[in-house]
Amino acid sequence: MSYIIGSDVVRYACTCGILKPISKLYFCRHCLEVRCGFCVCHEVDSHFCGKCAENLPSSEARLKKNRCGNCYDCPSCHQQLTTRAATVGPKNPEDPKATPRKVFYLLCLLCRWSSRDVGIPDQSAVSGGWPERENIHANRLQEIQDMYKGIVLLDKQQKLEKDKKKQRRYMSFTDRTGITASMLRKRVGLPDIPHPLLKPKPKEPEPAVAKEDVEELPEELLTKPVNLCEVTTMEQRLVQPEWQPITVEKLFPIHKQLSVKRSQRCRSCEHNVSKPEYNPNSIKFKIQLFACFHIPEVRIVTVEPLRAGKTCELLLKFSNPTQHQTVITFLPVTLEMEETKISEQVTEDKSVVDDYLLEKKQPLSLTGTGSQPSSLLHASLSRQPSITVKPRPIAVPVVADITIPTSTFILPPRDDAAEYDDSGDTHNIQDDSKLVIWRKSNKAVVKLQVTPKEDLKIGDEVVAGFTMQHIYVNTITTVDNKEPQKCEHKVKVFVTLGNLVGSE
Amino acid sequence: MEMQDINYNKSEYVETASGNKVSRQTVLCGSQNIVLQGKVIVQSDAIIRGDLANVRTGRYCIISKEAVIRPPYKKFSKGVAFFPLTMGDHVFVGERSIVNAAVVGSYVYIGKNVVIGRRCVLKDCCVIEDDTILAPETVVPPFTKYSGSPGMQIGEVPECQQDLMIDFTRSYYQHFVPTKII
Amino acid sequence: MTSRNTIKIHHGSIVCEESKLRGDITIGSNCIIHPSAAIIAEAGPIIIGDCCLIEEQAKIIHRLPFDQSDKENTPVLIIGSHNVFEVDCTVEACKIGDNNIFESKCYVGNKLTITNGCIIGAGCRLTEEQTLKDNTIVYGRSCQMREGLDRPVPQTLQMDTLSKMLPNYHHLRKPNKKNQ
Repeated sequence: MSYIIGSDVVRYACTCGILKPISKLYFCRHCLEVRCGFCVCHEVDSHFCGKCAENLPSSEARLKKNRCGNCYDCPSCHQQLTTRAATVGPKNPEDPKATPRKVFYLLCLLCRWSSRDVGIPDQSAVSGGWPERENIHANRLQEIQDMYKGIVLLDKQQKLEKDKKKQRRYMSFTDRTGITASMLRKRVGLPDIPHPLLKPKPKEPEPAVAKEDVEELPEELLTKPVNLCEVTTMEQRLVQPEWQPITVEKLFPIHKQLSVKRSQRCRSCEHNVSKPEYNPNSIKFKIQLFACFHIPEVRIVTVEPLRAGKTCELLLKFSNPTQHQTVITFLPVTLEMEETKISEQVTEDKSVVDDYLLEKKQPLSLTGTGSQPSSLLHASLSRQPSITVKPRPIAVPVVADITIPTSTFILPPRDDAAEYDDSGDTHNIQDDSKLVIWRKSNKAVVKLQVTPKEDLKIGDEVVAGFTMQHIYVNTITTVDNKEPQKCEHKVKVFVTLGNLVGSE
Repeated sequence: MEMQDINYNKSEYVETASGNKVSRQTVLCGSQNIVLQGKVIVQSDAIIRGDLANVRTGRYCIISKEAVIRPPYKKFSKGVAFFPLTMGDHVFVGERSIVNAAVVGSYVYIGKNVVIGRRCVLKDCCVIEDDTILAPETVVPPFTKYSGSPGMQIGEVPECQQDLMIDFTRSYYQHFVPTKII
Repeated sequence: MTSRNTIKIHHGSIVCEESKLRGDITIGSNCIIHPSAAIIAEAGPIIIGDCCLIEEQAKIIHRLPFDQSDKENTPVLIIGSHNVFEVDCTVEACKIGDNNIFESKCYVGNKLTITNGCIIGAGCRLTEEQTLKDNTIVYGRSCQMREGLDRPVPQTLQMDTLSKMLPNYHHLRKPNKKNQ
């Protein structure tokens, strides 16, 4: 339950140095590292509306400014608006054939605001047909935006020309489109003839004119008593920045904002770590490499009341989520050593990257831009990581020491059918009885000794850490070895044990 | 943190063949219309209004003390009809919460003192925090966290929520043991 | 304070046995009181109008404010007709008009006077001494107020359906006051 709401007591250190609980971590199977939300690239997969659960293609989403076309939000309390029906008598009461027709209006069920409050006429169609408002400044804003887009394009072209002047290379005949006329022209230095169908440069908008005379402050602002029911609140105004209505009569319904489905990609190896399904209602994942499925989970069972300098007992529960047996070894936690090792690797990578940057343009035609890296190709040669994350030192004050037990213990694989089978454990594992207190299928409770440092005061929070080494079976099969590989994976675990109760 | 044992008075609870543990002090109206799929815990003083419409829960649901599960109604031109209320598997309903929703998905966590408005739709894997008031007919998309009054989306839920809820409800059921009389 | 229970139920009302009624209570005609509702008339009689809907766990408490505990006359709490008290609301107001809706988990304190057509939203806590104007809508945690256009629609359709369904599942208290 503490993962769902509540404080994170047991946290794992990600390779970048940030501590996160296991529910928020991913595990990249290709680099065999733990990744947190900052070490992965978040990519937008699809846009959908939270209410009507309809997917929108990204181009349409951009056109509609990331808002749903059918669903509306209440302007006064920002909840979802529902469409209600009302019957209206027939237009011509004397005509016997005319039937009473249904008209629809929008209603908010929380604050009971309705589209009739602002005077929007009731619509005869259930969805769509609600009048859209035009902003009087829309044209001017569009002109200014176009002008700035033109400036950005010009900037880009100038930069490209500068870059071209740096390198003198021969034209490649093996390029996909061959030697084109525009390439020749650029090579020679002639200006590019724009394609006849391209838009001409947009005209410059009129510059803004400064005005001296300002409207006088109306007297009635100071004299007339304010009816608070008619004035909009700041929140109501700012949620519609285009219109910012001052009075309640101008509050129009707002289109609902779209939500996004994200997929996560490891920054170093560019493999997907998490990819949800396309259907907005589905909770399944096409790729789900969450840490809680690969790394043993640590939970605190009990801890003795902590006293400074005195050894207290700590019971931790380990559970193995994988389908393979694993052996857990304890190692002391180090906040510095690991960091230098990784930074060496990083500088190595960087020099490699610089070499390849120049030649990037050539081999691109071979491998193709945007091709998926396949582990078969050892594609790290021609791709460089998008951003190399420099690991930062783990900024948690570890104030208690855990005596590292020398013995290791085995965790059997997870067996989903064991829930229904009451025959009991048939594992017969010999354990160090001082270490492992309790066992059940893939879980074990381990007793450890914690000694908070002597210079702590009563009420200080005590954090202890250790490195857990477990055997991870990598089920990705490569061309070289068809069998799953076993490797030792280390992860640093930090437990927050509560406040100090007494001193010696 | 590992869950502690939750003890209950053995004489107070009825355990059925499919593993449902229902307290005798609940108000179960229309119990023939209430279907508890299996391993469901209904704690004391909960109210399930099966008399209004069918109520169906999935497996491993937990309905805490004084919670109210009430099917919503819908107005038609010819009158009012009460909708059946279906809850998915592994749903936790906190204490004193009122669930008036039309559909509650699976793996949903509903906190304490929550009011789920009429005809709300809670999709799978969402979290409604304590003291939230959801406006009627709100649709809560998956993997979202709602809080406040009126309930607004405040954040997202980690993708392994399904696993977390399965683990949470299962361990709650396992730790829900009668007090041992020594 | 005597502890006798005088409950007068007019014709057509459906009062479930499991509801808790304490004190001198008069319930009008065609009311529906769900099980686990609590109506406690501590400080004086409560008179409920016609066609009121009181859902489960709702609490209507008539309690004297502290400074008036020794007065001679017993104030009567008059609740108008067509009111709806939803699940788990707590209402202690000193006077309630007609056509009001008290939504789930709202709390209306002792010093309030509710007129007609008000909607007290879910979770709102009103404690200060005030009189709510007609057709006021209170919503949100900070109890924002709005003026509605007109009073809320009475729940006759729902009450009709309930009056057909509830007798099948619950034991009811019989009405004991004939129509005059």
